[in-house]
Amino acid sequence: MVEEKVLITGMGVVSAAGMNVAETLAGFTSGIRNIGRTTPALSPLDYPVFQVSAPLRDSGNAHSRTLQLAFHALDEALTDAGLPHDLSGLRVGVCMGTTVASQLNDMDFYTAYRKTGEPPMEPVEAFLKGNLAEAVAGAVKARGPCITVVNACSSSADAVGVALGWIRNDLCDLVIAGGGDELSRIPVCGFGSLSVFSHEPCRPYDRDRQGLNLGEGAGVLILEPESAARRRGSRSTLFVGGYGAACDAHHLTAPRPDGSGLETAIRVSLAQAGIMPEAVGFVNAHGTATRDNDKVEGGVLVRVFGAQVKALSTKGFTGHTLGAAGALEAAFTALALREGWIPASAGFENQDDEIPIGAVREKTAISARYAVSTSLAFGGNNASLVIGCGS
Amino acid sequence: MNIAGMGMVSARGRGLAALEQALEQGWVPPGEVEVKGLPSGRLLVYAVPAEAMSDKTVLAKARRADRFTRMAVLAASDALQDSGLGATVDKSRLGVIVATALGPHATTFSFLDGILDFGDAAVSPTAFSHSVHNAAASYIAMTLDVRGPTLTVTHFQFAFQQAVLLARTWLNDGRCDAVLVGTVDELGAVMHHVCGRMGKPAADGRIKPFAFSAVPETVPGEGSVFFLMTRESTGAAYALLNPLVLSVPDVISPAHRGGTLQLLDTDGMAKDETAYRTAVIPGMPVAGYAPLFGGLLTVSAFQAAAAALMLEKQRRYASPVLDNPHSLSLLHETSNTPLDTVLCTKLDCTGRPAQLLLSLT
Repeated sequence: MVEEKVLITGMGVVSAAGMNVAETLAGFTSGIRNIGRTTPALSPLDYPVFQVSAPLRDSGNAHSRTLQLAFHALDEALTDAGLPHDLSGLRVGVCMGTTVASQLNDMDFYTAYRKTGEPPMEPVEAFLKGNLAEAVAGAVKARGPCITVVNACSSSADAVGVALGWIRNDLCDLVIAGGGDELSRIPVCGFGSLSVFSHEPCRPYDRDRQGLNLGEGAGVLILEPESAARRRGSRSTLFVGGYGAACDAHHLTAPRPDGSGLETAIRVSLAQAGIMPEAVGFVNAHGTATRDNDKVEGGVLVRVFGAQVKALSTKGFTGHTLGAAGALEAAFTALALREGWIPASAGFENQDDEIPIGAVREKTAISARYAVSTSLAFGGNNASLVIGCGS
Repeated sequence: MNIAGMGMVSARGRGLAALEQALEQGWVPPGEVEVKGLPSGRLLVYAVPAEAMSDKTVLAKARRADRFTRMAVLAASDALQDSGLGATVDKSRLGVIVATALGPHATTFSFLDGILDFGDAAVSPTAFSHSVHNAAASYIAMTLDVRGPTLTVTHFQFAFQQAVLLARTWLNDGRCDAVLVGTVDELGAVMHHVCGRMGKPAADGRIKPFAFSAVPETVPGEGSVFFLMTRESTGAAYALLNPLVLSVPDVISPAHRGGTLQLLDTDGMAKDETAYRTAVIPGMPVAGYAPLFGGLLTVSAFQAAAAALMLEKQRRYASPVLDNPHSLSLLHETSNTPLDTVLCTKLDCTGRPAQLLLSLT
């Protein structure tokens, strides 16, 4: 087992909050929420959504928008880490999370199949070239472990956790971990059918929250054992300290009311990081703004960390980016530790009597070595990442 | 890492007795389905029979689930029961890893039917929630009350091998005491069509694992296989299972070759199987059991289950289809011959190998 720290040596993010790290931090500081509406091209249903509207970097042979988003974030992360785009000389693993990109759900293909019985096969070919981790591995010539996590909304948090395990088990010298998801008609219709959308900008943890807004984006982290990173000249002080995951075994779409699965995941991640809850400076909560999620999650955060814990949800800036959310929020958590502040939890105004904590209302200075990012998902998955900063 | 229990649902039925019977019996003709849009209008397939999924007791909590999930729940439940650890393992330290190449696509298309037939605002929430890839893992967790980590992963080339590698890290980390790791993939109407258009259907119903053809023939299959993996031997273990992921084909020690068998995951699903010519270890007996189960992107799990059973029984089963244009040392008859190691070899579309090494406990 590799006992040394697993550093975050590079980060790349793209979401409605910003096209890169610098833009995102500026957006968090300004408090501006780049929210729009669904377009007819996406779905005839009318909901607020957080769309990436600026052009993406040239992403070569990306076969889907999700891949374009992932390649965009990957480019920034590799540059940030000081790495080339050809990693064939290293033991490199790739673990990416997604939801939409894992499904063969091309509407044109299926419509043609129903109408004519002989649809064009190009969408299927593109799908078979579009496995997120396989595509990223191919792009950087990675030859180590490679897998796409499809654990619904915790996918890319789990992907970061898998990457941590690979390094600790000495399977890789470097892992590209993250996730991506595009806005798609499928989840717009699906979440709409579950009546979990808000018709206004989402308000995580707020008393009057109505539900979530969908978003799109990608987040990529470069993880390396500290010794290998230092040999390359990395001066990063950010690291992934622990990962916990636990299943509710309760319901396909609703969290276990007592939150015991999430609590287990958090406590496992703290134990792996070797820290007590008091060492955690803030929690970047899953905070979807649905009635159930925030109520259950808030209760657990108080049980584990106490009522004084600083909490926020960045989904007020990004929307719920599904398979990208965990990695984006891990990156945001790391950035907050590095910068020494957390943004206001956009959309939060009034504390809910049913939730024993609120979220921060304004940009808040923090001085902490550790923070936690939580993710909950369909299927009862719960994931928790401990992010650290400092030598 | 020990295989302490196994469960399987395939075209040959449910359970290890069905697996053993299939290995003893050898190849049987596939079934035939009507397929929209194909010139012949028909396709030979190895489909899981309905009676293999009729267990209302195990499926009680999955009664609303689709075929994809039902296959996985049955195979995972059987693996846990087969291990004898169901009553003693700490469910908070039991993990689940479900590997799939294509996910529950039949339900995805059912959801798309809802959009096309009734409009975006009138789709079924049940179809949506069951169309996500991790629905099967969720039902496994609910059925078996698994409270440990539950992960669903996908990969078109090496889904099972990568899942086994991950299970090993969880056991090594001390994250879990046991891990249910397995695969599930299904055939549906659209996939019948896709396989018929993009693959080359075997007109005689036989997958030919040793043809190493540039245009391999296949008979699509479906099913689920699960293994209950433990770090330490439980006394009831079948075999040790170690992933040699992305290793070179000749990594196995020559000292093992006398009691070693190589299984090739050639099932006709790749566009080109010619690279397997260089993956065969000279002089080592070779077999391939894909003709029993059909071709599917997660066929490696079925081969691994066959390998584990052979090690436990100390019985070598004849390869079910013996076409041998490259004069390999095929396992051509069934016998009780000592066996200490089975090397399962799969190549991706570029010819890179991922291997699983199974050996006696």
